[in-house]
Amino acid sequence: MEKEPEQIKMENKVPAKERIIAWPRMGRIDIPLKALLLSLGAKVVIPPPNSNEALEIGVRNSIEGICLPYKLNLANYIMALDKGANTLMMFQAPGSCRLGNYTKMAQKTLKSMGYEFDMVIFDMYKSKMKQTLHAFWHVTHCINPWRYYKGFSLGFNKFFAIDTAERLLFYTRPRELNKGDAEKCYNKWLKITDETNSVLKAKRLKKQIIEDFKKIPIDKDKKVPIVYLIGEFFVLLDPYTNQNIEKELGEMGVEVQRQIMFGDWLEHVLKPSIFYHKESHRERSVKYAKKYMKRAIGGECIETIGDTVYAAKHGIDGIIHISPFSCMPEIVAQNILPKVSKEEDIPILSLVLDEQTGKAGYITRIEAFIDLIKRRRMKMTNKV
Amino acid sequence: MDKKLLNKKVGIPRAISYYNNYPFYYGFFNHLGIEIVLSDKTTTKIINEGCKYVVSDTCLPVKVYAGHVVNLLDKGCDVIFVPSIQSTNYKINNCSKIRGLPEIIRNVINREFIMIEPTLDKTENIDLKDFCIETARVFGISDEKLIKEAMKAGWSIYNSFLEMTQSGIPYQEALANALNRNSAKKTIDIVKPLSVVIMAHGYNLFDERISMNIIKKLEKMDVKVYTSLNVPHEKAISSIHSLGEVQYWANELELTGTAAYYLLNNKVDGVIALSAFGCGPDSLMVDEISYHCKERSMPLIHLTIDEHTGEAGFVTRLEAFVDMLMRKKRSQLEKKSDKLEKQSAEILKIRNDKVLTGTSK
Ligand code: SF4
Ligand code: SF4
Repeated sequence: MEKEPEQIKMENKVPAKERIIAWPRMGRIDIPLKALLLSLGAKVVIPPPNSNEALEIGVRNSIEGICLPYKLNLANYIMALDKGANTLMMFQAPGSCRLGNYTKMAQKTLKSMGYEFDMVIFDMYKSKMKQTLHAFWHVTHCINPWRYYKGFSLGFNKFFAIDTAERLLFYTRPRELNKGDAEKCYNKWLKITDETNSVLKAKRLKKQIIEDFKKIPIDKDKKVPIVYLIGEFFVLLDPYTNQNIEKELGEMGVEVQRQIMFGDWLEHVLKPSIFYHKESHRERSVKYAKKYMKRAIGGECIETIGDTVYAAKHGIDGIIHISPFSCMPEIVAQNILPKVSKEEDIPILSLVLDEQTGKAGYITRIEAFIDLIKRRRMKMTNKV
Repeated sequence: MDKKLLNKKVGIPRAISYYNNYPFYYGFFNHLGIEIVLSDKTTTKIINEGCKYVVSDTCLPVKVYAGHVVNLLDKGCDVIFVPSIQSTNYKINNCSKIRGLPEIIRNVINREFIMIEPTLDKTENIDLKDFCIETARVFGISDEKLIKEAMKAGWSIYNSFLEMTQSGIPYQEALANALNRNSAKKTIDIVKPLSVVIMAHGYNLFDERISMNIIKKLEKMDVKVYTSLNVPHEKAISSIHSLGEVQYWANELELTGTAAYYLLNNKVDGVIALSAFGCGPDSLMVDEISYHCKERSMPLIHLTIDEHTGEAGFVTRLEAFVDMLMRKKRSQLEKKSDKLEKQSAEILKIRNDKVLTGTSK
């Protein structure tokens, strides 16, 4: 028996027509979500990308022991409120971790700072399409089904477009002949994706992006080591916190593959299970992690372990595992990974990120790791 | 069945869930005819041993846990009980490290042993009965009636333990009595000048090595100490609600519930929060309580511990806090007596007035 999710809290002080909506930054979630909300007739504010300034605001207004993602989320809220937002959206999955507690805390902190706003929580735990629609109705009061259709199609197609562009960027960057081509192409398509306003055009984006990336001259025969980037959801998707690790790796001539892609994840979370036939990332992780983990323990721990085993079995050269300081599920993962690395015979680098992470030391460690992978690869090919 | 299991022996690490659930485990295993081997009390050696196995960012209690598992193995006990207590109510979860204790132990301790790892996860409808059946199954026991009786035996010891602690009997004494099926009577309370409540996980507070014996230290300073064991569960929950908060963590009642209870009934002069360095849940819970403490101008100190914490510094901070409470109390008492004097003067005046008005009539 499935109980009703308790307390989907939705404040309702701001009249629906006057709502100006903001949400925390997470990867490029802003592009599709904006499209969706605008289609429903809402107004939105996008907080500026995470930066030292944002981090400083977050640190100043939160307690010491709390995890980095919270500090940045809080800063996003503050910056959005300062730009006129009056409705804050939060996504949470209480099944997992500290996240569930975040909202309560952010709400209290912001109110004590004197801000007035409504907080609307999107509870992603076992509450799927129906609750999501309800939450969107709550913030917009839009009752026109065509607009919902338009909004969701735009949103989903933009998500997939961005995911595609990202994957191609990861593939092309280490192979491109003219440095910077791939990134230019990626940024161009981000912009186009953001500006696209018709469902028809949005549906075509993915194909166009693939075509366009194909035009970039690359060295097809270049031997490029492949590294899986795994770890905690937020730091994986936030280029500020992970110090743009994907770009750094790409420029070192490494192809990055990230297992957590926002569009995939969202599709799995939202689509009713009868329409979702693929093996989800979670299912695959549980299967592959079995030898090391018998149960999920919150956060992305089991994905971290499952992906590592999966990578080892599919000829990936190495794993870079990133997590925020004091992240509980990932500390469990850090404890398990050394054994996985040994038994599955795959090199792993665990990086813990916090406010003080210095770029220089961070890059040196990554470089040393990539050297190791390259040497290992050479040894292996020589043996064969 | 593995030969190791035929001995009907189980090793229980004296760490984490031991401190909350041992009376139950004791009654349960005994009734099933399974002998319990306990690891030794925590020592510096056990801590150092544990630190060798887990990564350094892990919190102290989990390091200690690993140390205890190794201690059991060194004693020749190779069947070890490592439960995964995921959630204790619908969507009331534990911290990932407690949920994943078996996952950590399985992968960090590279020695031959059998791990008994039942799951308790009420969010997924895996309740205590399933937990017990799973445990018994490993030993080849599947008689549901017997398991039910064993659970009853567990509950009876657990309840008598709680009854004693809630009447004010200290942890060690209540535990010893409960296991021997005695019931101890509470001795008369000596009134002490100061009282505090300690909000902390049982595995931090009642492990004398981890807590640096904080309770005894405070008692020596003539401070009465209240802990989670003195507060009935329902009261802890209702106190959280009275503060306008909700329970989020499975092991929250020991911290916010307990502190809230004493904040509301005005029985204490200060709050001591004791937690492991880097503990995620505690940082949130202590923050929540310190907010309410501020509103009530109740002093709070947050002491964090790890394997490097020195006793001297710890004691200094504790003494400073107690001194501060003492000063505060004194000045309050003085103010009160001042006030009383003023009040009595006023009463006198009113009386005089009355007399005056009386005469004028
Ligand atoms: S998964 Fe890690 S970073 Fe995310 S809320 Fe939990 S502890 Fe914080
Ligand atoms: S609740 Fe805190 S002390 Fe306990 S295991 Fe989790 S992080 Fe460690």
